[in-house]
Amino acid sequence: MSIISVKNIHKIYNEKTVPVHALQGVDLEIEAGEFTAIVGPSGSGKTTLLNIIGGLDRPNQGKVRLADTALEDLNDNQLIDFRKNNIGFIFQAYNLIPVLTSQENVEFVMLLQNRPKAEMHKRAVDLLKSVGLEDKLNQRPSQLSGGQQQRVAVARALASKPKFVLADEPTANLDSKSTADLLDIMARLNKEENITFVFSTHDSRVIERARRVVNMIDGKIESDEQQAV
Amino acid sequence: MLLKIAWRNIWRSKLRSFVVIGSIAIGVWSLVFLLSFSRGMIMTYIEKAIENQTSHIQVHNPAFINADVEANELEKAPYNFIQDVTKVKEALAADPKVEAFAMRSYAHQTFVGVAGKTGVANVYGINPNQEKAVTNIHSLVIEGDYFEKDKKNQILISASQAEKYNIGIRKKVVLSFTDKNGIPTKVAFRVCGIYDTKNQLQDQFNVYVRQKDLNRVLGLGEESHEIAVFVNDVDGVDAIQENLSALLPSQLVRVYDQISPEIELFNVQIQLSTFIFTFIFMLGLIFGIINTMLMAVLERMRELGMLMAIGMNKAKVFKMITLETLLLGLISAPIGMLIGTLSVGYFKRVGLDLSNFSKGMQKFGMSEIVYPESSGDMYITFGIAVLITAILGSLYPAFKAISLRPVEAIRKI
Repeated sequence: MSIISVKNIHKIYNEKTVPVHALQGVDLEIEAGEFTAIVGPSGSGKTTLLNIIGGLDRPNQGKVRLADTALEDLNDNQLIDFRKNNIGFIFQAYNLIPVLTSQENVEFVMLLQNRPKAEMHKRAVDLLKSVGLEDKLNQRPSQLSGGQQQRVAVARALASKPKFVLADEPTANLDSKSTADLLDIMARLNKEENITFVFSTHDSRVIERARRVVNMIDGKIESDEQQAV
Repeated sequence: MLLKIAWRNIWRSKLRSFVVIGSIAIGVWSLVFLLSFSRGMIMTYIEKAIENQTSHIQVHNPAFINADVEANELEKAPYNFIQDVTKVKEALAADPKVEAFAMRSYAHQTFVGVAGKTGVANVYGINPNQEKAVTNIHSLVIEGDYFEKDKKNQILISASQAEKYNIGIRKKVVLSFTDKNGIPTKVAFRVCGIYDTKNQLQDQFNVYVRQKDLNRVLGLGEESHEIAVFVNDVDGVDAIQENLSALLPSQLVRVYDQISPEIELFNVQIQLSTFIFTFIFMLGLIFGIINTMLMAVLERMRELGMLMAIGMNKAKVFKMITLETLLLGLISAPIGMLIGTLSVGYFKRVGLDLSNFSKGMQKFGMSEIVYPESSGDMYITFGIAVLITAILGSLYPAFKAISLRPVEAIRKI
């Protein structure tokens, strides 16, 4: 059964002045355990689609169902709660909390979920170990490289035990080595723990590793293909 | 964790936080000092008034005090002396909280004539030895003596009167009274001493003679119009007043702030100026806080957007911004209070010499050296004011923060 289901999504920016049709009737189903890349050139609508799937933005038309919940039925606060408990986010610019250490950044999401302190602590350490940062628990983001920051972001995205993880151009700011390391980690988590990953990207290194590639052009899905990795 | 984040956030821009902390601290410091200064000035005035003239408590015949100037009742005033004076004396002597008391007679608005010059004076008939235990007029004699032994009709005048009438020691002063039968009587007194309280309001009118001399002129015997009472502990003055009032129901027993209405006026003035200064301070502060916190919010749009994206609800974001502002207030207010306390403490010890301005102040009975005096209430008021201002100042930035839409906030940068 689909964990993500979007039907006939339309998104128009600047509706009253110069309308931009960012999405024009997009349909997409994503199953649990997928490792999917949404690709396309700049302005093709992939980030807009990802924002709508992530409940960060609302479509002008169409329906979004995530893990059996219709997003249009939720108000802003319910949507925040939904995101907190169901979706992990990885941003292009890492977006860690600069005043917290790696471990605190990972714990923070669990704190929002009111998890017990001991559990928070153990899970944060385990997750940071799994992304190879066991020796960086007490470093702040400014003391980490871009690749290390993005690995903390992966650990943070997983901390809330989300139903799926959305990553918006996660490798855009990383060098080849960091990109390869990050992709290895995410592929391993996908394989071993069946975590669903959806990326938006135009990085060929990411596209090569994806098992499904959804290609977008001008706000529409141009092709949707499975590929062997 | 929210508190930890808020705490660390305020140190992200150290310079900006230090500027805000510094300005709040200086504001609190100046408020503490300014109000302690005016409080000290008024307290000194009250102390001087008590020491020089009023003493802590006075007992009168109610008719003496309530005599209406307009109705010419003042002429009858000499006969409104204290009833049952023995009973009053016994009551005062029996009260262990009463340190001393002095009997006084009084003649309102007496006509004074000195070598062709005329004026008006309030004549106090005092018992020099009793008076020494109650007020310090004896120690303020700058020329001559505080009454010479066994000499009749001596008068103590002030330095400003001596200057006004251009007279000195041993010179003659003629006072005009209306005697018991309503007949005007002129009596000559000789200046034995000149005093100076530095309070021109008082010195302008008050002259002192022996009570027995004044009573003889007024046709009174052993009677007194006023009993001035000095107590051991000024904080217990209201309790003593209550006690004496109950013992002496036919007499009017008043404490110093009831006797001198300007003291009450000054107290109101302190309260009012505390309120006004605090309000102006809060108004200035609130704009500073809004400005700083708004900058802090706008600088962190992407971060705030991210926090809301990963599930931090609006209430928590609001709380975080408010907490940051509150922490700034909680750091700076005590610093301001500490510097305020230290500077008030220093000047309370050495005094703040305002002799350059004292001529104008003396006219109103103010001392030329002011000892600032803070009070606990003051600190509580300022503490609460800073916290309220911090909360109010954080509201707009906090609303601004929660009105961000995560997707837009993340995209902004």
